Amino acid sequence: MSAISRIVVAGSGPVAWLTAAALLRAFRQPTPDVLVVDTGDSRDARVGRWLLPSQRGMHALLGIAEPHFMQRTGATFKLATEHNGWQGTGSQFLHAHGDIGIEFRGLPFYKFLQSENLAGRAARPESFSVAGSAARLGKFARPAASADQLTSSFTYSFHCDEAAYADYLRAHAVRLGARAAPAALADVSLNDAGAIEALRLADGSPVTADLFVDCSGPEARLIGRVSRAAREDWSAWLPCDCMWSARSPAPRDTSAVTRTFAADAGWFWRAPLAQSTMVGHVFSSRFQDAAAARETLQAFEPALRGEPTLTRFAAGRRRSVWERNCVAIGASAVELEPLAGADLHLAQIGIATLVELFPRDRRSAIEAAEYNRLMAEYADALRDFTFAHYHIGAARPGEFWSSIRAQALPANLAARLDLYGASGRINLLDHESFEETDWAWLFLGTGFPADSLELQTRLQLAQLAPQEVTALRTHIQRLVQSMPSHGDFLRHQAAATPRASQ
Amino acid sequence: MSAPIRIVIVGGGTAGWMTAAAFASVFGSAHRNIRLIESSEIGIVGVGEATLPHIRFFNRRIGIDERELMAKTQATFKLGIEFRDWARLGDSYIHPFGAYGSRIGGIGFHHYWLRRHLAGDTTNIAEYSLPIVAARENRFALPSEDPTDVMSTFGYAFQFDASLYAAYLRGFAETRGVQRTDGKIVDVALRGADGAVESLKLDSGEVVTGDLFIDCSGFRGLLIEQSLKTGYEEWTRWLPCDRAMAVPCENSGPLTPYTRATAREAGWQWRIPLQHRMGNGYVYSSGFISDDEAAAKLVSRLDGKALATPRPLRFTAGRRRKTWNRNVVAIGLAGGFLEPLESTSIHLIQVAITTLIDYLTERAMMQPGGFDTRTVDAYNRWMEMEYDRVRDFLILHYHATEREDTPLWNYCRNMPIPDSLAHKMELFRARASVVTYKDGLFLEPSWLAVYFGQRVMPVGYDVRVDSIPDAQVAAQLAQVRERTSDAVARMPTHEEFLRIYCPAAPVAASGARA
Repeated sequence: MSAISRIVVAGSGPVAWLTAAALLRAFRQPTPDVLVVDTGDSRDARVGRWLLPSQRGMHALLGIAEPHFMQRTGATFKLATEHNGWQGTGSQFLHAHGDIGIEFRGLPFYKFLQSENLAGRAARPESFSVAGSAARLGKFARPAASADQLTSSFTYSFHCDEAAYADYLRAHAVRLGARAAPAALADVSLNDAGAIEALRLADGSPVTADLFVDCSGPEARLIGRVSRAAREDWSAWLPCDCMWSARSPAPRDTSAVTRTFAADAGWFWRAPLAQSTMVGHVFSSRFQDAAAARETLQAFEPALRGEPTLTRFAAGRRRSVWERNCVAIGASAVELEPLAGADLHLAQIGIATLVELFPRDRRSAIEAAEYNRLMAEYADALRDFTFAHYHIGAARPGEFWSSIRAQALPANLAARLDLYGASGRINLLDHESFEETDWAWLFLGTGFPADSLELQTRLQLAQLAPQEVTALRTHIQRLVQSMPSHGDFLRHQAAATPRASQ
Repeated sequence: MSAPIRIVIVGGGTAGWMTAAAFASVFGSAHRNIRLIESSEIGIVGVGEATLPHIRFFNRRIGIDERELMAKTQATFKLGIEFRDWARLGDSYIHPFGAYGSRIGGIGFHHYWLRRHLAGDTTNIAEYSLPIVAARENRFALPSEDPTDVMSTFGYAFQFDASLYAAYLRGFAETRGVQRTDGKIVDVALRGADGAVESLKLDSGEVVTGDLFIDCSGFRGLLIEQSLKTGYEEWTRWLPCDRAMAVPCENSGPLTPYTRATAREAGWQWRIPLQHRMGNGYVYSSGFISDDEAAAKLVSRLDGKALATPRPLRFTAGRRRKTWNRNVVAIGLAGGFLEPLESTSIHLIQVAITTLIDYLTERAMMQPGGFDTRTVDAYNRWMEMEYDRVRDFLILHYHATEREDTPLWNYCRNMPIPDSLAHKMELFRARASVVTYKDGLFLEPSWLAVYFGQRVMPVGYDVRVDSIPDAQVAAQLAQVRERTSDAVARMPTHEEFLRIYCPAAPVAASGARA
């Protein structure tokens, strides 16, 4: 067994409890001692968030029953994100959690849509996607394996209330054996080697451990002390650094969809919860002050319930997220605006990578080096995916947008756009979260042009009969028509879920 | 689509004919016009060639019948490569085409083996690999497609006569309309506008024009280097071997379903068994042994009677700075050279061809010569990645040695290695973690085989393995060993299998080709 048996997780939000729970599930017999130290005021103020489908895998690993989790957190399903106005007023595209069409003789179906675009015919990927079509029609059903390949051609994730989700994960982690420290973090002391010697709690008691995991959010209260390495600043590409978020009373749009709306200094969003709607305004304080941004949110959604809360972040990542006996997971490591909904996903990768590389003893320099290498690749790829939404397509007017367009692209993104632009090809990096299909949704949705197709693809497409394409679309329509509405699905699930006491 | 693209292939060795066959097969004759120019006066480098399992994807993609190919090229099966004397004199390990055991609870099998090994268990990790156990017993059968069957845990490749392979592909390509011209290129004309190749002048006086020129002229790089001056990135400081002597000999003993690479005083010796004879060669560093001595050593260490006098080869480890430059793509030795220690020569040809096919756009076809630099750059990045990853893997063989008996091994043991490899080795030593990547050759089992085989022994393993009771781990290991040896016992011998599956026409020993 590892000599690392006492682990302290510092943090108050979902990332901290997710980390604590996951470490307890990963290491059993003997179970490590996992102590969670509250970092108090660093708790994220956002009202809620949307997640990526990978969260379902994490829930399964933690033994979280989905209907129970959804009931406790007022969660709804998410099949897609709808982006409005990013490529100019009136523009709209969908990014659904699922395949586009069915693989045709080894060829991904989106290649057909590329060829339609090249021929000057508009082709919307959602017409060929179960998740996309269901999202458009406000429908929902879980994917299921069946003789019909299409019924398992998609996946889904969730919208949930931030505080309720944090509380839920906390309760779950405690059930799994995580202990909450008796008092919040007061300060951190280092030893001569620069590693963490101990934490001191607000009640004066010291806390020692073999490994410290910093989930304290942007304040990075542990890793910020241990690591002297500079942070990489992404604000030139991603200038948004604030978010107002609030709730509005009625669930007025119950589609399983997150909607975003490009604005003058950022973007608005709206997402459903079971009993209400969440709205937010993500903006750059360089281009709009907080008071004005709040007013524009009010104009976007007049019927707000309660006071909007302000969350601040600074896009970028720490160059060294594991140093000595301290590993940073979550916003203490990487800060990224919520567009891709990938915060917890990245935290999850951080946890899984930590488990894979879990050190045997306190000499962990090589593990740290590998961890830092991998996490940098994942984080940079997520930055690129997020930034591509701003960069691609016709520019919106205004200083905010033109400042973004003036930036040189990160090298990997430039290479990706070049290759796609020349040939419609999408190559993935060794370590990145979004897949070929996700990039296809983005490229096709934004109308990013591919000037040509691979010759080989063209020859294969010549064998695809128009009737097959029509049949596919009809089949998807029929399948989606037979699904219940998202609202009905939620009500039915809630009625069938016992209100278990904790 | 308008006029078919005119593809001109320069050189008719393995690279040239693989390229011709692939393009002729994948693109119909309406879309391409392929000419291959080779000179019957210039010999090809082709010696006994060993391949990797990936060649089967290539064969399937272009429609080559495996049994026919094997019968026509005197081919044998290959389950891996045996390395002798690499870490220490007397050592022997096989790098197999397959995994060791299978993952348990999401954790690699080798972590479980290591836990037992570090606690004193004396079984060798080779006992948990079906292709290794089968290779050691000279047995072979085709793998199963049932993933629950231990017989599905391996792949295979071929060992064949490279000259016969080129001849076979030539027939395949010519049937599909490839036009072959026997001639020497005496001049290359470049376009004034963009410096791309305009035409080739042959010794017959004929001028050959084209849209895309594939340089398969071998190490000299007639177009990519001599005409376009592309430049070469040299890796001799890590891979010091720069010459080889090659000689065939008579077979003796059972036909082994594996290639052998034996470390020697100034390099290493290959041994590739074919149905009709054996291919041999000594790859060496000219700084550490003379040509005459290398030839003499080689001839003195053959399994059977030499069938020719040793033929010398010269090369420099490295790769062309761009393998696609303007309208020239260099494939094979013209693109780069990595010694055949891990049988990567044909594989790198294959990757170059299939990547080129994947990246060629219809626009390139419609606008002859107007290759999109965005595509060209992406292709070059991809090929660089492929070469660089193979390079690190090869260096590992030389560097991870305890041998102190000759100057070459002392040099390799102490030489500085690329940071990328140093990181990989350090991570493995500390905790048996293998740095893996999505693209590029050599997956985790290959790295494991060479790490363990070269005595890069980890001091730790995945800590999660410790939570499983020792008796349970021991039982799981024993089960893998039993299933493996039971399955191997039911396999026919390699020779029996060849006789039924793909017997080649007998060749008189004196008529053997070099």
